[in-house]
Amino acid sequence: MPILFYNENGIAAPTLKTDPMPFDGITRFCFGASYTVALLLELFQLLRPRPALRLAALGFGGAGLLAHTIFLAAQRPPLSSQFGSLLLIAWILAVFYLYGSVHYRNLAWGVFVLPVVLGLVALTSAVPPDEDPHGRIVPALDSLRGERFWSFVHGTLLLLAAVGVCIGFVASVMYLVQARRIKAKALPNTGVRLLSLERLEAMNRRAINLSFPLLTAGVVVGIVLMLQGPHPALDWTDPKSVGGVLLWLVFALLLYLRYGVHLRGRRLAQLTIAAFGLLLFTLAVSHVPVQGGP
Amino acid sequence: MMLLAVGCNFRNTAVDLRERLAFADHQLPRALSELGVRYGCEAVILSTCNRVELYLARLSAPVALSADLVAEFLGEFHGLSANDLRPHLYEHLGVDAVRHLFRVAASLDSLIVGEGQIAGQVKQAYELAKKHDSVGPLLHGLFQQGRLVAKRVRTETGIARGHISVSSAAVDHVKQVFSHFGDKTILVIGAGKMGELTLRHLKQLKPRRILVTNRSLDKAQTVAEGCNGTAIPWGQLDDVLAGADIVLSTTGAPDVIVSAERWRRVQTKRSGRPVVILDIAVPRDFDPAIHDGEETCLFNIDDLMRIREHTLADRLKHVGPAEGIVEQEQRRFVKEWTRRSNGPIIARLIQRHDSKRAVIVRGLLERLDTRLNGVMTDEARAEIEGAFRLYQNQMLHEPISALAEGTPDGGSHTLLEALRKLFRLEE
Repeated sequence: MPILFYNENGIAAPTLKTDPMPFDGITRFCFGASYTVALLLELFQLLRPRPALRLAALGFGGAGLLAHTIFLAAQRPPLSSQFGSLLLIAWILAVFYLYGSVHYRNLAWGVFVLPVVLGLVALTSAVPPDEDPHGRIVPALDSLRGERFWSFVHGTLLLLAAVGVCIGFVASVMYLVQARRIKAKALPNTGVRLLSLERLEAMNRRAINLSFPLLTAGVVVGIVLMLQGPHPALDWTDPKSVGGVLLWLVFALLLYLRYGVHLRGRRLAQLTIAAFGLLLFTLAVSHVPVQGGP
Repeated sequence: MMLLAVGCNFRNTAVDLRERLAFADHQLPRALSELGVRYGCEAVILSTCNRVELYLARLSAPVALSADLVAEFLGEFHGLSANDLRPHLYEHLGVDAVRHLFRVAASLDSLIVGEGQIAGQVKQAYELAKKHDSVGPLLHGLFQQGRLVAKRVRTETGIARGHISVSSAAVDHVKQVFSHFGDKTILVIGAGKMGELTLRHLKQLKPRRILVTNRSLDKAQTVAEGCNGTAIPWGQLDDVLAGADIVLSTTGAPDVIVSAERWRRVQTKRSGRPVVILDIAVPRDFDPAIHDGEETCLFNIDDLMRIREHTLADRLKHVGPAEGIVEQEQRRFVKEWTRRSNGPIIARLIQRHDSKRAVIVRGLLERLDTRLNGVMTDEARAEIEGAFRLYQNQMLHEPISALAEGTPDGGSHTLLEALRKLFRLEE
């Protein structure tokens, strides 16, 4: 039986309610809760190291990633929306968490990566997706022609750059904690066990080195798209323009300080953390306004 | 079965006597052979810097093995008085000897609980005895099981976790700062004994190069030759400090060599590269104020010793569970050995009763046949035979069970002797 839905003008529009999709039951709460339990287990594992706890944490992390993957595949939130990009970045970082936890079994990897994943998932609550009258997320369009293609390129470049910043952020926080431990002369194989300072600095460096060209290209494509859009004039007071340009400047500064001034260690880690803060701001206010398509 | 463990260790014997009682590698074959000839027993000798122990076993014991006999043997072998030796020797018999070996192999009886070296030394002692045919079924089973116990204790408890030596602790600290060592320079300042050991550990990281400096260039050259390094004149200390990534300082200097002021000057040439300084000299060579936990990570002997104390305290928590495993394995070994060694006696006991029963039943049936004029049916015969068999089985069940179970205190040996005498099983 047809069910009537009402549009903004109060006019009833006959619409057939579609059958529920097979994975409609998987929500953000499912994977958010799994990641939370994994994080709690990781924290508990710090106090009482037990292989079983580590395995359980990995199990919950893996379950969360599976639910996260199904959610993204089933709902297909557009990359051009904050909602979609935040969830996709969180997904990539969840993969990063699982990889790190399996690869560095004795390190407190999850304690640093999972909060970022959870933070990004939580942030999606502040930027709800566009939904159809059935309450489903309006999915990304399949066609990638013309302007939509360049929007997709722009979004993908920025997203990959954002992943790089997130990894740089995680590496920087780990670096600061490890440096603090060494300064306090904490026992090496107890408490929060981390990678060496050298390794963490290299991780930060690679993340930023890879992110900068991606960010630059993404920003350039974004500017071109804006200039060619219906309102070609760039609005420099628009937070998304300011955020994007500021982020690029901070990145350029980071690279200059590293390679020009040979800044190292804590200062660089602190700057990377600031860049991450700016990224969150940019993600919250900026995306290419092409509805329905990446 | 007779099993005896006699020996002395760091707890009850001073090092000078232990040194005199120790068996050099070339002495061991002769000692094992003499023990076999003299006492007709299986023998394994465990001789390390912390203990000298003899494990002797004999399946039948016309003359009991004892610590007195072993003291006599040790006295003659090493040219010492047996009477002087005897008070220093402890003695573990039967089940206690089994437990003792398992505790030794699992490093529960070691000077540093959980150290891994002793398991290898026990294995080596057994292999040598096996090579010289002084190991029989009992010691073979015992030492094989001892290896398994040591492995179980190591893997199932945290008793072997963490590092004890200053050298290992130093490497742990270095690994907090660096991951790759192929591009790193190690600078050794001084030529102390402790430094050599730590350098050996650091060398395993495969650094790009090792530089050695000392007030005496000759000594520096000696150390450098030992580690494929390069000797550097003392006057170039600041220059090599500026290029080093890991510094190992172990001089006998009475005062600080590198003050905070001097280090600041060196740092200006380092362009912010981090350095790990392992100052294991006493008195210290580097001013502790230079440690900032990032560009300059300075660890002195106290910092390194803290790891050792923490590891030891942590290991002590695992002694209880480890003792539990030893107890469990010791019971299992005794039970299995008792079952194996009592098997022939039990078989003989049953056989003896079977033949006696057969004679009695045959006689009874013949008499009954005569009395009843051959009217007894086959069923009645089978019933009579079955009743006697049942009686025999029930009568032997308890003693056989008691023998098969064995007892933790080694009581099965007494039982076995009693059964032999009571039922004349030797005849």
